[in-house]
Amino acid sequence: MNAARESVATGDRPPTLVIQDIVKTYVMGESEVRALRGVSLTIDRNDYVAIMGPSGSGKSTLMNMIGCLDTPTSGTYLLEGQSVSEMSDDELAEIRNRQIGFVFQTFNLLPRANVLHNVELPLIYAGVPRAERRKRAEAAIARVGLADRAHHKPNELSGGQRQRVAVARALVGNPSIILADEPTGNLDSKTGAEIMRMLDELHAAGQTIILITHEDEIAAHAGRIIRLRDGVIESDVTNGSPP
Amino acid sequence: MTLGLDIAESARIAWSAIIANKGRGALTTLGIIIGIVAVITTMTAANGLANSFRQSFSAVGSDVVYVSRMPWVIVGDFFLYRNRPAVSLQEADELAENLRGRAVVNPSIDTNRPVRYRETTVESANIIGTTEKQIVVSSAVPETGRFLMSFDLQYRRPVCVIGHEIWERLFGEADPLNEEIRVGRHSCRVIGVMEKQGSSFFGGPNFDLQIFIPVSTFEKNFGGRTSGRDVNIAVKAPSQEAIAELEYEIIGEMRKVRGLRPGEEDNFSINKLDTLVDAYNNVMGVVLLVGLLVTGISLFVGGVGVMNIMFVSVTERTREIGIRKAIGAKRRSILMQFIFEAGAICLFGGLAGILLAWLVTLLIDATLMPASMSLPIVFMALLISLIVGVLAGIVPAFKGARQDPIEALRYE
Repeated sequence: MNAARESVATGDRPPTLVIQDIVKTYVMGESEVRALRGVSLTIDRNDYVAIMGPSGSGKSTLMNMIGCLDTPTSGTYLLEGQSVSEMSDDELAEIRNRQIGFVFQTFNLLPRANVLHNVELPLIYAGVPRAERRKRAEAAIARVGLADRAHHKPNELSGGQRQRVAVARALVGNPSIILADEPTGNLDSKTGAEIMRMLDELHAAGQTIILITHEDEIAAHAGRIIRLRDGVIESDVTNGSPP
Repeated sequence: MTLGLDIAESARIAWSAIIANKGRGALTTLGIIIGIVAVITTMTAANGLANSFRQSFSAVGSDVVYVSRMPWVIVGDFFLYRNRPAVSLQEADELAENLRGRAVVNPSIDTNRPVRYRETTVESANIIGTTEKQIVVSSAVPETGRFLMSFDLQYRRPVCVIGHEIWERLFGEADPLNEEIRVGRHSCRVIGVMEKQGSSFFGGPNFDLQIFIPVSTFEKNFGGRTSGRDVNIAVKAPSQEAIAELEYEIIGEMRKVRGLRPGEEDNFSINKLDTLVDAYNNVMGVVLLVGLLVTGISLFVGGVGVMNIMFVSVTERTREIGIRKAIGAKRRSILMQFIFEAGAICLFGGLAGILLAWLVTLLIDATLMPASMSLPIVFMALLISLIVGVLAGIVPAFKGARQDPIEALRYE
């Protein structure tokens, strides 16, 4: 990881993410379901990508793949130059911990832990010592504008605030990618817009962001829109500079 | 992730999980509490019995062999022993003569009689006719006054050395020396009081209720040489090591005294402390085994209860497992989280059990026998409850740790 960081300075890093010919087949009873039928894509540093597609298009499967929650049946996946396709569960957990920041539609915060503990969690699993962990978590919470809510429990916060906690948790570990799965799906349009503004800011600050969405309006924030249909990429459009 | 952080986070999770489900946790620990109380009480009772046994027989030296008609512990048919001739004082004298220089021989003969001092009576005191060698073969010594001496025997003096409890019950705090007490129908002057030998073992003799009088006086007052009363002959070996050899010599000499032909079986018994200890250990072994079996079953049931609750806990928190795994928790972390929770529940149960067992111990101490809870037993109980917790937590924890994060995140 340190080696990777150093190479940022020299500018000769590989692309953040390289996916080649990924196929994912699920066996459901007697029949096989081919969720992905050969997907290839490359995402560079500081890209802002939206992955779209109707349900059944394979976009969730692709998200799980990119998020290292699952491994492909065939094909290769290089994340920061590391081959993820054949990793064990625990190796995947470590990659997720260091490279991926998840923002889920349903927030997925731990209900019994306060904001600070929720945000600290990735650092705990990364083995960051207590004092540093506390400092970084507080910084991340301040960055999403919740410094005065650090000791509240999730159920004491509004939906928008909860999603901001999730964003803080996603970025606290300095991941290569923030992977946001329908981040505004459970929010009203106003708070949804706030969250999107926050993601835009993160992108502006150099963060690579991948959005999974079915809303054109949300996808419009991204600089590049990939559309999936029936397990293959239907279109991959770069629409110039994002807003 | 380092182990220390893993442990800290696991402890934190376990604590908040238990706090969140206090009622359920309390009910679950009930099984463990009962189990631990059973463990501790069994051990404490066994300890108490062993202590009071040791105390009761501390006066019986381990380097002393007793020759008597009956074995102390009868194994098998009582009627085999019943028709044996009584050991007489005559035989004791002859045995003493034959073993002269090799061992100290002390005959004793006893009966139960009421003793009275003025208006106070002790209903059944153990009157023992013995010689001045009694204090050589036994470890008990007089606390005040003196023991019997050879001239007491020679002149059949009507003197006695009384046990501690006899003194307490007859005289209270008063000085008994040179007071006359009535032993049965005979008058006797108190010349000494034996030191206290402690409470008695169940059914064992109470050494503090003994009264020693010269064996010659005993014969005169209660009969002895011809009455068919049983004599016990104590033979003290010169050293602990010599006792095994001495035992064979005694058997040989005693057979000579009795004129037994080769091939005839011994018609007397050799008794020693070891015989009692063996018998005691046999009985206690069985008691302990049964106790631990019952205890083990209750702990097992308690453990199954904890396991059951842990399965519920793992299922309830499927989504939490998914979240933790998504952000980087490895199997080990999840595994530890739930094992910690089960361990903590059981440890709480163990602590509560120890507290309860302490009360039970106090109750036993006050009513049944001297009992106390020792630190090793407390530690053992804690260890056992921890082990039960870990064992009960392992299977549910594995179930949790093996969850697929995608499935777990989807769980409603």
